[in-house]
Order: sequence, then C-alpha cells, then structure tokens
Amino acid sequence: MTEEEVAMEMEAVEAVYGEECVILDSYPPHLHLHIMPRTAEISSQQFVEAVVSIQAGSKYPDEPPRISLIESKGLDAQRQKHLMDIVQAKASQLSSSLMLVELCEEAVERLTIMNHPDGDCPLCLYPLFPEDGESKQMPFMKLMSCFHCFHCECIIRWWNWIHTQKEADSKSGDTKHMYRETSDQEGNSGSVDKSMGNCPVCRKVFHAVDIEHVLDLVGAQSSQQDSGLVQGEDKDPLLQSDSEKIRREWFEAILRTQEEKGGLVQPKKNISVVPGMYLPPPPPASSSSGQTQEQGEVEPKEAESETNSSSSTNRRGRGRGRGWGHNVNRRKQNSQDPRKPTMQWVQRS
Amino acid sequence: MTSSSSPSRKALSKIACNRLQKELSEWQVNPPTGFKHKVTDNLQKWVIEVIGAPGTLYANETYQLQVDFPEHYPMEAPQVIFIPPAPLHPHIYSNGHICLDILYDSWSPAMTVSSVCISLLSMLSSSPTKQRPTDNDRYVKKCKNGRSPKETRWWFHDDKV
Ligand SMILES: [Zn+2]
Ligand SMILES: [Zn+2]
Repeated sequence: MTEEEVAMEMEAVEAVYGEECVILDSYPPHLHLHIMPRTAEISSQQFVEAVVSIQAGSKYPDEPPRISLIESKGLDAQRQKHLMDIVQAKASQLSSSLMLVELCEEAVERLTIMNHPDGDCPLCLYPLFPEDGESKQMPFMKLMSCFHCFHCECIIRWWNWIHTQKEADSKSGDTKHMYRETSDQEGNSGSVDKSMGNCPVCRKVFHAVDIEHVLDLVGAQSSQQDSGLVQGEDKDPLLQSDSEKIRREWFEAILRTQEEKGGLVQPKKNISVVPGMYLPPPPPASSSSGQTQEQGEVEPKEAESETNSSSSTNRRGRGRGRGWGHNVNRRKQNSQDPRKPTMQWVQRS
Repeated sequence: MTSSSSPSRKALSKIACNRLQKELSEWQVNPPTGFKHKVTDNLQKWVIEVIGAPGTLYANETYQLQVDFPEHYPMEAPQVIFIPPAPLHPHIYSNGHICLDILYDSWSPAMTVSSVCISLLSMLSSSPTKQRPTDNDRYVKKCKNGRSPKETRWWFHDDKV
C-alpha cells in the first residue's frame, strides 16, 4: 500500500465526517473522530457520545491502527472498554486493507447500539435498558427539562395518577399541592395544573408538552383513566386497554421500520416516534425473531450504575424533619392558605 | 373517610407487587445502615428495626417501624409508623405517628422504603431534644378510633429539627 493511497483514504474520511473529524497527522494516519449515535439528530434521543482516536503506524494497514477513547459521555468504564474492544477487534480483522472509514463506521454503529442511559427506571426500579438480553425492552423517554429517564409506561401511569387524584381532590374541595415549586401559581389552578407536573425524581416542573408525545401514544387515555387506572385490581389496566394495544402495534411497526433500515431509528413521518422517546433497537440481522435484542453485543451486566443514580442516593437526607403540627380533620377542612410557605419544597443543606 | 388501624386492606396491585419485590431484593443486597427488615411472608406489611445512630441522642436504642403499603404503591405513599414505644422526638407522637412531609404531601413515587428510612434516621439523628410534640396528648386522643396518620392533615411549618 503506498503512502499516496493512504493519503487518499484520509481524504475520504475527511469528506465523510467533515467537522466531526480532526486530522492530527495525515501520514501515518492519526485522527480524532467525534461520534454520536445515529439517532442523535434529535437531542432528546441522545444519551451517549464519544471522541475516538485512531492512530496508525508506518506499517499501516498491515498493522492495524491503535484505537483509544479520548472522551465520552453517558458511558461508564465498562461500556467505554467494550466500545474500544469492538472497534479494535474490527481493526485486526481488517488488517492489510485500508480500513479507516470502516472503523469510523463501526464506532458509530456500536455507539448507536449503546445509545441508552444506564441505570434503573426510578418508578418501577427495573433497568431502563436490560443488559441481560432476557428481560423485555420497554420503551423509555427522557424529560427534556431535567434529563431524568423513565419507562414510557411508568411515566404515563404516574401522570395519569396525579391527574386523577387532582380531579378527585378538586371535587372534594381539597386543594392539593402537586406543584410545590410553583406555589405562586396556585391561585390560578385548574388549567395550569392540568398541563404540568413535577419530575418524580427531582421535582423540577415540566409541562404536558414534554411528555405529550408519550401521552399521544396511549390515544384516548385521558378519557379512560378516570375510571380505568384507579381500579387496578390484579391487572394493570393500562396494559389491558385498547389504546395500549394500539400503542403496542405502533411500536411493532416502528420496530419493523428500524429493521428495514438496518437499525436506524428513522421513523416514517406518519408513525409516532418523536423527540424524547427511545425505542428498542432491532435485533441484529442474523436474528429474525424480533424478541431477542443485541445478540451481537454480549455485554456483561453492568455493575451498580453511578451515572443515573436517580433512585435513591440523590435523595438522601432530603425532606428530613421538616416541621410538625397537624389538623386531624383532613378531608373536612380546607381552610389552610395554600400559599403558606410551609408547603414549599425547601431543600435542607 | 372511614378509618381503621391499618390502611386500606385492598391487596397490592400487580405493579405494586413487582415494585415491592424489587425493593425487597435490593434491600437484601444493600440495606440502609441502621435498619433491619424483619422477614415475614407479607409483602404488604414490613416491620423494620431501627437502631439509633452512634453519637446521637438515640444511640443504641432500638425501635420498630411498621410500613403498610397501599394498593397503588408507589403512586400512593406507604403508611409508616413506629410501633410503640416510639422514640421520644418532637415530631413523633406517642402512638407512633410521624410528622415527616415525605410520608404525606411530599411523597414521590421515585422514593423507596430505603430512602424513607434514611430520611427518618436523619430526622432522629438531628433531634436536639428528646421530647414529645407539644400537642401529643390532644392528637393521640383524636386518633383513638384508629385513624391512619395518612388521614391527618399535617402541617410542616417548622424547620428547626
Ligand atoms: Zn419503569
Ligand atoms: Zn428530574
């Protein structure tokens, strides 16, 4: 392989990756590539990114280049290593042929598969992205206001719950305090309250539009929930409802679309996949079952995640010992001033 | 609203069940410091032993918490009370009811038994004095019919303890 050929390859890399690619040396090739998952044109669907260094020696391509990670976001040490190992393995496999573009593609491909947050859903405590390959992957979403992630089903269930509660409370004349951060707005409750919520984890206020895309998927849920969700008994009404069936069909349609596109989450316009929602990646080409996922990526189960430790540690000590006093006739009396500062959420240091 | 000594006896929903099983198994791996879950086969009612933190007024004292889970846990808060004798604390009534906002209006479904326990221990540990709430007798009398603390309209207007 001549130096000239390698130089042409570098030009090709530059042409493909443009500003995402920084050439440190044209010969022997040394470059830094900023990679983002393929879904990340929509920022709400981006959970990871990385800068990868590809450095070749003078014997390139007979000797494969060295791959290393310059920086990354959203990847813990285990996933960082995994990403590097895979790309490095690809390099060895391709040795003696010009491979830079292919390596870059492999890195992007792998990162796209890894585009999910670590950790558990704060509401059901099950992993947002099960790594064991056995558990079912449920769609999840991210609140754009605070970046906390939840299973779509879980956040919807909770959203419907607080709004059903709210209605029940307003009927009983009891003003509830769902929105502590906005106590100044409590005067004009009703319409305002309906379209807002507090993140279950950090209590940051978000608006209905932030989860509208998820709500839309359950269709006419709002009309059903008053009677539906609160009953519950032994089965989950959300999972039983017609709208949920429709929603599932949608997801399956999207999944097929992804398969057609070879893993790209690039939904057709009339299918409801929207910013803030993540859909499970399709199984690798070898598998057609549609059930198993990420066969190609045998990733060991991740240890206790620190990156998304939303569920318990963050809240330690929060809400401790704030005040006392009581009013026994809870439901009968609503004479308290709802704007009383005492109801505000004040974090103690 | 009708009252009884235990909260709604309705069975746990499936979601509540799954969530509690998950909490329990995580507790078994990593229990909060100072707490012991007393093993029973009742997922809906946990009894938890609390040991006062070293260096605080409650050091080496042991108390028992009873945690009852409602049908729609974690949307609804659990009912958490001390089984008498309850620790002497300005926010803990002699009948075991606890005045702590996160157990009532400030509950969030992202909280867990474990995080509640940590908050409770922190509330105990920061107490400057071992005494009952000033309105203890009045309140306890009103609860004689066995009302749940969740039916109390709590005020949280004091931030000193
Ligand atoms: Zn969940
Ligand atoms: Zn949040």
